Amino acid sequence: MDTSVGRRKVHRNIYYTDAGSEYQHDVSMYKVPPSNSIYLEEFEELAVERLQLLRILEESSAKGHRVYSEDWKSYIKEELAKEGLKKFLRLASGYCSQTELDFQARKADYISHYILRVAYCRSETLRRWFVNRELEWFKLKFLAQSHQGFMKFLQLNDFTYTPIRPEVKEKLNHDLYTSTAIPDREFNTTDFFKVPFTEVLPLVKGRKVFLKQGYAYIPTSDLIVCILSQFRASLNESLLKFNSYLPRLDDDRIGNLLENLHYIHTGDVSYEDTQDALNPANLDSYAKQFFPLCMSTLFNVLKTQHHLKHFGRLSLLLFLKGIGLSLENTMELWRNEFTKNPKIDSNTFEKQYAYLVRHSFGQAGARVSYSPHSCLKIIMSNVGQGEYHGCPFKTWDPVYLKQKLTELGLGSQAVTSIVESASGGHYQVACTKCFEGNYGQAPASSINHPNQYFSEAVKLVKEKQEKKH
Amino acid sequence: MTNNDFNPDNLSFLLPVYYSRLFPYSQFHKWLSYGNPSNFQKREISFTLLGDVYIRYQSFDDEAEFAGQLCKKIPVKIDIGAVYSTKPKQRRLNTQITPVEKEIVFDIDMNDYDEVRNCCSGAEVCPKCWKFMVIACRILDGALEEDFGFKHKLWVFSGRRGIHCWVCDKEARKVNEEVRMALVEYLNVIKGGVNVNKRVSLPGDKIHTSIMRALKIINEYFDVIVEEQDIFGSEERFNNFLQIIDEDLRHSIKNAMKRGETSAEKWSIFETTFDDMLRKDAVPKHLKNLKEEIKLQYAYPRLDANVSIGMNHLLKSPFCVHPKTGKISIPFSINELNEFDPNNVCTIQGIIEDIDQYEIKSKEIKMETEEEDAKPQKVKDYEKTSLLSAIRVFEQFLDELDKDNRSSDQGNGVD
Repeated sequence: MDTSVGRRKVHRNIYYTDAGSEYQHDVSMYKVPPSNSIYLEEFEELAVERLQLLRILEESSAKGHRVYSEDWKSYIKEELAKEGLKKFLRLASGYCSQTELDFQARKADYISHYILRVAYCRSETLRRWFVNRELEWFKLKFLAQSHQGFMKFLQLNDFTYTPIRPEVKEKLNHDLYTSTAIPDREFNTTDFFKVPFTEVLPLVKGRKVFLKQGYAYIPTSDLIVCILSQFRASLNESLLKFNSYLPRLDDDRIGNLLENLHYIHTGDVSYEDTQDALNPANLDSYAKQFFPLCMSTLFNVLKTQHHLKHFGRLSLLLFLKGIGLSLENTMELWRNEFTKNPKIDSNTFEKQYAYLVRHSFGQAGARVSYSPHSCLKIIMSNVGQGEYHGCPFKTWDPVYLKQKLTELGLGSQAVTSIVESASGGHYQVACTKCFEGNYGQAPASSINHPNQYFSEAVKLVKEKQEKKH
Repeated sequence: MTNNDFNPDNLSFLLPVYYSRLFPYSQFHKWLSYGNPSNFQKREISFTLLGDVYIRYQSFDDEAEFAGQLCKKIPVKIDIGAVYSTKPKQRRLNTQITPVEKEIVFDIDMNDYDEVRNCCSGAEVCPKCWKFMVIACRILDGALEEDFGFKHKLWVFSGRRGIHCWVCDKEARKVNEEVRMALVEYLNVIKGGVNVNKRVSLPGDKIHTSIMRALKIINEYFDVIVEEQDIFGSEERFNNFLQIIDEDLRHSIKNAMKRGETSAEKWSIFETTFDDMLRKDAVPKHLKNLKEEIKLQYAYPRLDANVSIGMNHLLKSPFCVHPKTGKISIPFSINELNEFDPNNVCTIQGIIEDIDQYEIKSKEIKMETEEEDAKPQKVKDYEKTSLLSAIRVFEQFLDELDKDNRSSDQGNGVD
């Protein structure tokens, strides 16, 4: 992007009529950086508007709507309307017409996307957040398109997919039918396309596609997966490139805005590290009172079985670090528990377990102080044989979950509602309800980090105690 | 030679002999070179020395340096890591180096079957529970070959109770962690940790081709497993089984199954009862595949996902000696899987004795035939031992790899 515009340079006629190919379609791959000049005010406005858009996308999922479900979409559209983000609302509605309004909307979409690329290329965390939101936005627009709009998109972006020949489909008929997740009524009429399996990883992951000799056979409705994975790859690549250009971008007019964009008026919900050191004597009672279910589970296993597998250890370690347990105290706790295990003597402990503790505190190995895992990370983690980590609302059997929650003293109504959310895939909602059940009040913002759960719980209980006095 | 004869205390004088006379250096070097010596040079090979001293990020410029270091340091364990962009030994302290290539590897450990096997536990293994490994090999091999098109799989006995698989196709070695993760999730059917009873879920009416293939293999063994493992042989096992079944169906299934005496009878009653329920439409839609789900839960391979996903993850090298059992971690051919007996794998002590036996025998032959002027044939030491067949398996694997490599080179030449 050319950011070398003069301070008060005015360009009144920005492309409306001679709109470049970028603005011909609601759904854009954002291939070429825009080269037009814009007012500084407009620049800021666009940046903030897109940030609002991406925040709304995030919120919709945080509210428990399954991504791309009808609820998810309608929540987003309502919010866009509420916030007066008409241009984005237009693009989310799939008109794909060619009026002046359409061009304006697409242009705003295009330029604001690029502004945020510059803002979000700065760190791994920012990049990941941005890419995920942009993918959601891309797919939201894409799903709103008619068949015509879809074909036009393929054509404009040079996507040439040739369907497999009817006799090939006939031959593979049974496998294609059993291994593809599409409604029966669409099966006979849909075309299938043969692509390398590496282009449709989300389908491979979910075993929702027929694979043969390294190729995936996907129905028309799954072409979006291919397109998204290309969009993701090119976006990731571009963000890394932008990041390497950053030192050369020295513009005090926008520098500050871009640097701090992610954190402005957005109510960032991540937790704060506890400032006070935690007294290890309180740990057991804290665990009972304030730990979220995932962490109290790990803590109990550590205390009763004197062992945890690697990811369980890591998860609990970082959590404890986050709530203010010092390296020394953590090491002591670890040593006490692990050496109670008949298979681990103090020698084995020093060799096999002490390292991870020091490593997590940034005192060994790469010397990076790692941050505690967020709900997202915990939810996404693989839980295997003999492992206790992961989000209980996701990994536990509903029956077991119900039993455990009841044991924890939650009322039957609350338990039913929590199990329902968990079974519906709304793990964080379930956890938030659990919080509410435990402390009689909802947390200030819905739970998305175990350490946030902890600090909110501590705060609430303290406030209540103070009121009593 | 049985492994009972092996005494771990002898390792310190057996290993030097093994490394100096028996380890198949040239084949090993050929393997990790993949037609280009720089692949070998940039490969992380780490050692574990006696007394649990780990040396990571080593690399070796050629076969001679590798052999020299093995003979000098006498590691009790050799691990293979990734190929890096630069030689791992030249990396500067506290700087990260990035892995660029690595075989896709799988590690299946008998330990992870403890909840379904009743013949042995922990480190032990017998022909009964080895069947789980046979099933695992066949299912993985089928999926890797037919679904992903991977041809060059090196199967290795881990030395005690598990197996490793190294997928060495060029395309496989190059894929990033994202692809590995997707591939592993595709293959990983058994989900969930300790607090989950029902760990396989096949919702809907249709069953994926890859799962159908796995079920076909499992069906060949399942009845035998039911009997040999006596899967309902105790109150506890029976209850664990019932926990898998949805509460609504559990009661009637339990009552019906109680009529059976043996595990085989109980299983067959379960099958007919469930089929009956299906016919009467008494089964909710998402549980229609319960029978299949249960078979998979009992017999589908349990994969250690993290080993397969991380490119920089280390895995024990073939031809390592297991420090507890003394068994050699030998490659085996998938075609001879049914005959493979983990309790009969050659041990370091055994093969060293093989050399002596061979020499005594050949002397006797010489004496008998009295052909003193016959030229002494040059025989490599490992050819005198029971390690030979494993090395032949390895060589055949290398030949196939070589063939493919050469034909793809020619393909490039034409372009």
